[in-house]
Amino acid sequence: MRSTSAVWAIFALEIRSLLRDPRTVLVSIVLPVLLIPAILLAGEWVENRRAERELARVYRFTVVGTDSAFVLDLMAAVREDAPGSGEPAGATDPAGAADPAGARDSAAAEDPPENGLRFRRVPVADPRAALESDSVDFYVEGLTREEWLAELPDTVVPGIGPEDGGARVLRIHYLAPRTASRGGAAALQDHLLEARKSRRDSIVMEAGFPVSPALVAAVDTLNVASDEEIQGARLGRILTMILVGLMLLGGSAVATDTLAGEKERGTLETLLTSAASRGDIIRGKLLSIMAVALTIAMIQVVNLWVFLGLGLLDVGGGFAAAVTPGVALGLMVLYLPVVALTAGLLLLTSAHARSYKEAQLYLSPVLLGMLLPTLAPFLPDLSLRSAIVVVPIANLSLAVRDLLIGEIHLPLFAAAWLVTAGAAAWVAARSVQALRDESVVTGGTTRAEFLGGPELFQNRVLRWFLVFWAVKILLDFNVPLEDIRAAAFFSVGVVFLAFPLLVIRHFRLDPVEALALRMPRPGVWLGVLLGAPAALVAVNGLFRLMDFMLPMPSELVENFGQALLPEDVPAWQLILLLSILPGIAEEITFRGVLLHGLRKRFGPVALALVVGLIFGIFHFQIFRIPVTAALGVILAAVTLLTGSIFPAMAWHAMNNGLAIFLGTRGIELDFEGWWWGLGAVLVLGLAFRIIWAYRTPYPEVGARRKRRSLDPAD
Amino acid sequence: MSDAPVRTEGLTKVFYDESRGEVRAVDGVDIACSAGEILGLLGANGAGKTTTLRMLSTVLRPTGGRAWVQGYEVREAPEQVRANLGFHSASTALYPKITPRETLRFFARVNRYPAEGVEARVEELIRRFRLEEYADTRVEKLSSGMKQKVSMARTVAHDPPVLIFDEPTVALDVLNAIELRAIIAGLRKEGKAILFSTHIMSEAEQLCDRIAIIHHGRILATGTLEELRTATGLHYLEDIFVRYARVRSPAEAERDNLGGDLPGGGHP
Repeated sequence: MRSTSAVWAIFALEIRSLLRDPRTVLVSIVLPVLLIPAILLAGEWVENRRAERELARVYRFTVVGTDSAFVLDLMAAVREDAPGSGEPAGATDPAGAADPAGARDSAAAEDPPENGLRFRRVPVADPRAALESDSVDFYVEGLTREEWLAELPDTVVPGIGPEDGGARVLRIHYLAPRTASRGGAAALQDHLLEARKSRRDSIVMEAGFPVSPALVAAVDTLNVASDEEIQGARLGRILTMILVGLMLLGGSAVATDTLAGEKERGTLETLLTSAASRGDIIRGKLLSIMAVALTIAMIQVVNLWVFLGLGLLDVGGGFAAAVTPGVALGLMVLYLPVVALTAGLLLLTSAHARSYKEAQLYLSPVLLGMLLPTLAPFLPDLSLRSAIVVVPIANLSLAVRDLLIGEIHLPLFAAAWLVTAGAAAWVAARSVQALRDESVVTGGTTRAEFLGGPELFQNRVLRWFLVFWAVKILLDFNVPLEDIRAAAFFSVGVVFLAFPLLVIRHFRLDPVEALALRMPRPGVWLGVLLGAPAALVAVNGLFRLMDFMLPMPSELVENFGQALLPEDVPAWQLILLLSILPGIAEEITFRGVLLHGLRKRFGPVALALVVGLIFGIFHFQIFRIPVTAALGVILAAVTLLTGSIFPAMAWHAMNNGLAIFLGTRGIELDFEGWWWGLGAVLVLGLAFRIIWAYRTPYPEVGARRKRRSLDPAD
Repeated sequence: MSDAPVRTEGLTKVFYDESRGEVRAVDGVDIACSAGEILGLLGANGAGKTTTLRMLSTVLRPTGGRAWVQGYEVREAPEQVRANLGFHSASTALYPKITPRETLRFFARVNRYPAEGVEARVEELIRRFRLEEYADTRVEKLSSGMKQKVSMARTVAHDPPVLIFDEPTVALDVLNAIELRAIIAGLRKEGKAILFSTHIMSEAEQLCDRIAIIHHGRILATGTLEELRTATGLHYLEDIFVRYARVRSPAEAERDNLGGDLPGGGHP
């Protein structure tokens, strides 16, 4: 039951308590207001100081080696040859090549050259020791090629063979850990290269050839984006991250205090014995976290705005140009679910913590985890028109980026909005559930936790599959197996067999029950025989339909096909590794333990959909998800109707086998005309009609749901 | 007694504990409490008093049996149940940052007291519990005796017909405990049905109209002090308690359960 007055009373209580707690106000409002500009100002100051010091620095060096005269000559050219000044040094001062080092050197060091770099030669006895003792920043060794080659091992040095004889080698010795040494050496290297080029040009010019590259062709660029678009793109990348970051900063103090703090103070039991429903409590608290988080984020934005406006800070602004009133309204609408989800996750963290301290412990992983999806706009070429649309927060951060550069796709924006809003609602519902949980008050263990084993598995199955999913992603991206056979054997055979066996062992499941190792009635096989090819065609039709509505990059699809079906692997190996092995291993994982673990939680239809969808998201290539999910739903339905895993195994193996057969023969299921699809759907329907006729229902499906409906509470 | 404001039938709660395994904290408890009556739940620590009362206040969910408050079943209509009761225990604290006045206003509103009557109700409570002096001081600055009175006032803020006090005097000094018992006795006069749990014999003797002796999750006997004396032939409640808790097997207790109307005889 919803009671608006209770929600508002709880909201008002939270806000009042916050405002009367000077520490919280100080930590979450006053300090950030001062600290964030302070950090930006400090960063700016450090950067300016660094630039100033770079300008003021005189690098101390010395020159050694058999060819030091040449080194000094080229360095003299460096100092005189400021970038952009017309004539190359070598051309105006050909005598310089013969001029020995010495008097010229120290004189030149005192004039700050236009390129901002100053070098002073310091005469030292032992350059290596001088470098070590910081008497010089680096030293240059002039070598003849013969000397240099003699020092090198016998390996071939690419690009510099002995046949290029006659040239010299200038080697800069420096100490990487020392900033001045590292920076000076790098700067000198750049300028020596430049001087080398100038000298070459002057030689070419003397020979009567033109040297200016502009004589070949001039290259020019023109940015056709408007100022709004440029600023919008910049703002769009960072805005969500800044907003979520600021909200987390502001909201976390209230969130930690609200449920975890109440548990610790004993006020939670007082509240839980009041007539407010658990939902009202969560709504009231969620509203207060949202309000506080948003207010603090807004205070920070205004604060930064003021600093920018006063000219105290300069982040290369002009952002205001990108935000028109219409865009601002759009931003508010798009950010609403982001705010709700952020606040909801903070509240959920607090609800699951037993104390204030525990809540703070959980907070940092939650904060990092929430900032991660806001990085989506930084990824180059990541479009909302991809699977990212189903990732909460990440999808809206992309929508915001698109909105700010004026690319508005309403259906995609709506989808992203609904996904994130749905996630927010789900998280809020989880918080309500956490309050209903008795352990909020008693701290005890549930019956399932106490008993462990199969009872507990039903509560933990989704959690285990989530971790398995994450591990699977990491394995797939980090275990590079070039050979398709090794890859298939590892990713299917090892991973999808090891996981269910681990689950069965850990939760002490009965393998016969967990994997539905029961023989179906014989008539079922006819249905499988008809259904598997029909489903392949029908699902393929679905794929074409999807491709038509939401085009996928075709090179991605083709690459995948090639990777899956190399030509040099014998057919029997393909069949074994890509048809029979997945048929067994993936079925044991999904239609085996997953279906078994979830069976009591959902009715048959929802169960088939959930199992199919989870099967789908285990195939990471975005464009394969809908197709495999559809197949997964069919296979789950077959298992539910036959009470056995064997028909699904046969179906799965047949499906893959047929696909391999067609693939290796280059036959594409690219049928013109809709009757193919219709025919396939009809045959599939017939197959299910046959299976239905010989059905043996899967036991205990939806058992927990039925029990709950008899026992409505709160 | 079917229309009693509080009634339980075979109320049972099974816990699972890492160290103790399956614990039947409350095991088939049948109690009833009428309007204008204080029913004492007398038992040692861990007897199941708090668990029983928490099931009545819907914080815990029974694993068996049923319980009604003002005709609402705890699992079917938990919010109505809570709207009709005030729950007070040593572990129900007050919000530190708000004043007693704000506390009362908050709990009246959250417990669905008619909105237009809230202010008048708050003033009435402040007068009745003599909170005038510190009604606008933040709770965190009050002494424990003052907090106790505010806590009592917030328990009855929405004027519920049923009140549950779970060992309310456990952390109080003698004077505060006496004052609190006086307040509870006053609430009985208003016709509230009051459940009062304690492990202090003298408190039960003084305050309770009827006493239910609870041990290991079972009610061993229920009756007025006189009835319990007659049934056992013992005078002091402590002796009576020891007799029931130590000597009686559950089967004997079942036979001798005095219930609302005293069965004839029943000497051990």
